[in-house]
Amino acid sequence: MMKRGFLTLGLGLMTSALVGLAHAIEEGDPAPDFSLPSIYADQPAIALADMPGKTVYVDFWASWCAPCLTSLPLYNDLYNKYRDRGLEVVAINVDNPIEDGLDFLLDTPLDFLIPSDPEGDMATQFAVIGMPSSYLIGPDGEVKLVHMGFRPTDMEMIEAAIVANLRD
Amino acid sequence: MKKPASRSLIALSTSALALPGIAEADAPPLTSSLSYKISNYQEDDLSREQVPFGELERYDIDVHQFQFVSPLGRDYALFINANHENMSGASPWFSTAGSNGQPVINMSGASGIYDSRSEVSLGVRYYGARGNIGGAIGYSEENDYRAKYVSMSGSRNFNNDLTTLTVSLSHSDDSIFPSDAERFNRVRHENKQASSVAVSLSQVLNPVASFQTALSLTGQSGYLSDPYKLQDSRPDEKTQIAFSNSLRYFFIEADGALQSDYRYYRDDFGIRSHTLDLSWFQNVTRSFKIVPMLRYYSQSAADFYTSIDDFLKPLSESQSSDYRLSAFGAVSGGLSLVADFGGWSATLTAERYVANEKYSAFTVAQPSPGLVQFTRLSLGVDYAF
Amino acid sequence: MPAKMRLILSSITLALLAACSQVQPWERGYLAKQEMAWDSDPLERALNDHIFFSKEASSGGNTAAGGGCGCN
Repeated sequence: MMKRGFLTLGLGLMTSALVGLAHAIEEGDPAPDFSLPSIYADQPAIALADMPGKTVYVDFWASWCAPCLTSLPLYNDLYNKYRDRGLEVVAINVDNPIEDGLDFLLDTPLDFLIPSDPEGDMATQFAVIGMPSSYLIGPDGEVKLVHMGFRPTDMEMIEAAIVANLRD
Repeated sequence: MKKPASRSLIALSTSALALPGIAEADAPPLTSSLSYKISNYQEDDLSREQVPFGELERYDIDVHQFQFVSPLGRDYALFINANHENMSGASPWFSTAGSNGQPVINMSGASGIYDSRSEVSLGVRYYGARGNIGGAIGYSEENDYRAKYVSMSGSRNFNNDLTTLTVSLSHSDDSIFPSDAERFNRVRHENKQASSVAVSLSQVLNPVASFQTALSLTGQSGYLSDPYKLQDSRPDEKTQIAFSNSLRYFFIEADGALQSDYRYYRDDFGIRSHTLDLSWFQNVTRSFKIVPMLRYYSQSAADFYTSIDDFLKPLSESQSSDYRLSAFGAVSGGLSLVADFGGWSATLTAERYVANEKYSAFTVAQPSPGLVQFTRLSLGVDYAF
Repeated sequence: MPAKMRLILSSITLALLAACSQVQPWERGYLAKQEMAWDSDPLERALNDHIFFSKEASSGGNTAAGGGCGCN
């Protein structure tokens, strides 16, 4: 009885340790393919496979994460500055319920793509280790930059990395 | 041009000091905030049975609190606090045996006591990748009391930011110079010091629950007696220990959160106590909350507490008839209404506190006739920008 | 402490630890709510600490104390 209890606990601990050890995406890794529904019910699904040859900036955000909310309007400016040169910004919302994310967007309209990942499937694939986390994917499908956390002064570095990885 | 911050962001910023490690690393607040709270609390009058002669009225106190919090550069935050308090009324002076042998109170301030207290404190905190560290200095002045204090604390997050260890230290240096010292043969000028250290560990248990356990140790030395009481003599050293446990639990179905805090305390005056605080935060709409609160407190008596002053006992032997050193229990209940309007939020609070020896969890050998009941009203306003 | 109780306690501790490591960074929306903070209303907390410090013999809690007052 006692032994079985410890065995179960041991297995539980091992499983959770393994989950914790899932490989976090690093610079130089191939980007995990993603396909997610848009947060807006009337818009099509969003998939990396549909953006060949583009420079893709993937960002994980939630309405309860203050630095995330600071970053999004700044990413919107960046997107409008470089969209003609092949930049896509994909801001994956992990709010659960989704309504919390939509509520923020009502207040702060954004021009780029916003998929919804309420169960955190894509966040698990990327093994996101903190909020917000963002990944710059080059036209060759390779991860060029991993950035965790956000302060407004980070924009300079992010913009430089994007410009360095634009197609032309 | 700087764009105005979104409503959601402002709402988050007013709770900038939420659990650490929720977002990546610790971060200073993203917007500035200004808070003001005005409170009045009034102690119930005593009865003629408790006080055979003189004033029955006790304290009536107004408190104004200000707080300004602002980000300072990329990694720092600034905290400025200012409080002002006005009090009037009277407090127990000495205690004698009444005609039936039961203790009765003699109040000080036949013409009433008027006093005010002003306090300012200034703090700075640095937020790094895995924690934060900061310090504060403060100064508090009354016409018969002055306190200067410094404090420091640091937090470090571990285990994917699910565990936080916090250590804090503080030191206070106080001067006491009672008014009318000559006339009433009170002490002229005395000092006391207090130092404390606290360690706390918090742990996220699951997506809706977290737990914190803390231990604090305080040493006081110097003049620890009450200079306004006729016969009050306490030891000049005191060691206090407090062990606290807190739980936060969010109930998704109910859209409400439970805050539960329990503290066990003991000191070498012989006082032990239990404090249990429960609050329920009910979200009614996205911008409106109702918060009922319930608190239970009980303490044992100090070893040298007496309900009737013994004027024959030399002052070299400890004794005090201060009701705050007697064994009693206290129950208080309150209700807060919280409204959020984007950058503004307002909180209205009402609370009723009743102390009685009947509520005591400890043996009451000598009940005090001077236990307090009070009613408090507060209105707080926060503005984030 | 009886062996059974010790077993129960250590099991709870282990179970809690096991449960803990499963809260992923993107699952902390409820924990980020203001009402889940340790100190959700700093002015209210400061006021309560001050009032109870002046009416009761106990003080001290999760953080180190500030300065005293003539109220005690």
